[in-house]
Amino acid sequence: MSDHYDAIVIGAGPAGLTASSRLAEMGLKVLTLDEQIRPGGQIYRNVDNASPTNLEKMGEEYRKGLTLTERFRKSGAIYLNNSSVWNVEPQGRVCYSRDGVSERITANYIIIATGAMERPVPIPGWTLPGVMGAGAVNGLAKEAELSPAGKVVLAGSGPLLLLEASLLLEKGIEVEAILETTPQIPTPAILSDVPKALLGTGFLFKGLKMLRDIKKTGVPHYKGIKKLRAIGNETLETVEAECGSEKISFQADMLLLHFGVIPETHIYRMLKCHMQWHEKYRYWQPVTDSWGRTNYEKIFASGDGTGVGGALAAEIKGELSALEVAHCLGIIPTYERDSLAASHRESLLKDSYPRPLIDAFFAFNPANFTFDDDTVLCRCENVTVGDIRTIISQGVTELNEVKAITRCGMGPCQGRMCGPVLGEIVAAELDARVPEAGLLTIRPPLKQIPLGELAAMDIVADGVDPANLFKNQSK
Amino acid sequence: MFNQESTVTAKFEIVLDGETIAVPGDMSVAAALLAIGKITTRTSPTAKEPRSPHCLMGICFECLMEIDGVQRQACMTEVHEGMVINRGIKEGEGGK
Ligand SMILES: Cc1cc2nc3c(=O)[nH]c(=O)nc-3n(C[C@H](O)[C@H](O)[C@H](O)COP(=O)(O)OP(=O)(O)OC[C@H]3O[C@@H](n4cnc5c(N)ncnc54)[C@H](O)[C@@H]3O)c2cc1C
Ligand code: FES
Repeated sequence: MSDHYDAIVIGAGPAGLTASSRLAEMGLKVLTLDEQIRPGGQIYRNVDNASPTNLEKMGEEYRKGLTLTERFRKSGAIYLNNSSVWNVEPQGRVCYSRDGVSERITANYIIIATGAMERPVPIPGWTLPGVMGAGAVNGLAKEAELSPAGKVVLAGSGPLLLLEASLLLEKGIEVEAILETTPQIPTPAILSDVPKALLGTGFLFKGLKMLRDIKKTGVPHYKGIKKLRAIGNETLETVEAECGSEKISFQADMLLLHFGVIPETHIYRMLKCHMQWHEKYRYWQPVTDSWGRTNYEKIFASGDGTGVGGALAAEIKGELSALEVAHCLGIIPTYERDSLAASHRESLLKDSYPRPLIDAFFAFNPANFTFDDDTVLCRCENVTVGDIRTIISQGVTELNEVKAITRCGMGPCQGRMCGPVLGEIVAAELDARVPEAGLLTIRPPLKQIPLGELAAMDIVADGVDPANLFKNQSK
Repeated sequence: MFNQESTVTAKFEIVLDGETIAVPGDMSVAAALLAIGKITTRTSPTAKEPRSPHCLMGICFECLMEIDGVQRQACMTEVHEGMVINRGIKEGEGGK
């Protein structure tokens, strides 16, 4: 059967590239599906097509991606770009859409390495053209060598916000201000993470250097800002915030938002993988064993989608999942799997040392946000925070009920943009923990596909019932 | 909203809202339109307001537009010669 593989890897970021390469190098028949134009994932987007000047500009961290893509190209893994996976079944079946045609294929094992996303946090005016993710602009620089024109304000929290700020400043972009929601004085809770962080000082020094470089430019840099809002008529014109008792305001053509990175879990939720809430990082992640195996024997989760750890951690997680899959397929014996895994586990541990401190330092704290009643929460269906509060006050207690009544999370993005904060708001209103408020249910297709494309698919009796695919429209 | 610093020379002619225009190639439709200053991707069907790409990684669906007859995410679709794109918006009516 030509459409059966030993393993299908979904995602060609650091995790997917490494997992695919390892398995294909062992002689297995591997298919790698990714919806982007080129391999590399978020961090290494477009790396093997980047111009020499762009490779230089984006720095050493970016160039590292070349090693991964070169290995991948040589490994023998079959690669399909522009392929959007819209269904995965626990038995090992995958449906994807490519160039307007949907295919259904099977594998003995599936490694899902679909990565993470920027945490969406609604602020007044965030739907205005000109308000974008900082990571989105970073991706545009890599993909198309586009740089913001005009006045730019960066706002939010996290190392990637500062990284993007320093990249823009280096390019001579007019950065009007950096507005950090991170408190001026970190909570004492972070002290417990300090000793471990000192074991991995490289990362910390890099951060400090970045902060010094930003300071030298003299760009206004505020911390502990509140009440951030984007104002404009048809496009963004002004960014306002409060810092202590001071009201600050900046003219801006672009506002780049970034509130950290969270796993993108739709694919796992669609599969009904067991999920767990991470109280400290305030995000959901799939439950896995140390190889990345989910509660399904054949389904592995790898990379940042299982918990945000950065590019190197994603790469190592990819190796570990691949080793276990190779072991299950009888390619390597247990002792070989374990001895190969040992050094990877050690690197993973070392890499993780500074993380808890950084994460605690920039931790997302919903209490720092007011989430005003008239702020649009669900961009697709135009549902406001007030709409949610109203129906909670009428006795609704669960996210999926909220969805059914208000249509929040029912548009084309399926709650990707509103879901995370919807959970926080509902929990806060109920005075409950986020898991008690529930998690939006996701049904296939994961991404919209035209009915005609579905109809043209070769669907056999034991497959997905096409009638099921549109269930999510009603709930 | 953006400057293109690229040395990339690939140029395609596409039809955008009925008008033939040249865009840079070797990138997504969303990037190519942003590169020539077309920042509005669609009018939100519910809010009736202009929207532009927000995430550029396939998450927000703000870049949905009719591309070669099908509603697709412009940030996940590679631009090509002769592509026909309809955003369903007009210049001066919130469209840029
Ligand atoms: C917008 C953004 C920008 C970032 N920039 C940086 C940075 O500059 N520096 C840094 O250190 N870290 C950055 N990060 C963090 C970075 O994502 C991770 O450290 C790293 O890329 C994780 O690797 P991964 O392999 O787990 O996932 P990713 O690199 O995210 O790769 C996942 C891949 O899966 C694909 N995919 C997702 N869903 C599907 C589907 N349904 N069908 C087919 N393919 C799919 C995606 O298109 C992507 O190519 C960024 C994160 C985000 C969200
Ligand atoms: S810009 Fe967000 S999905 Fe395309």
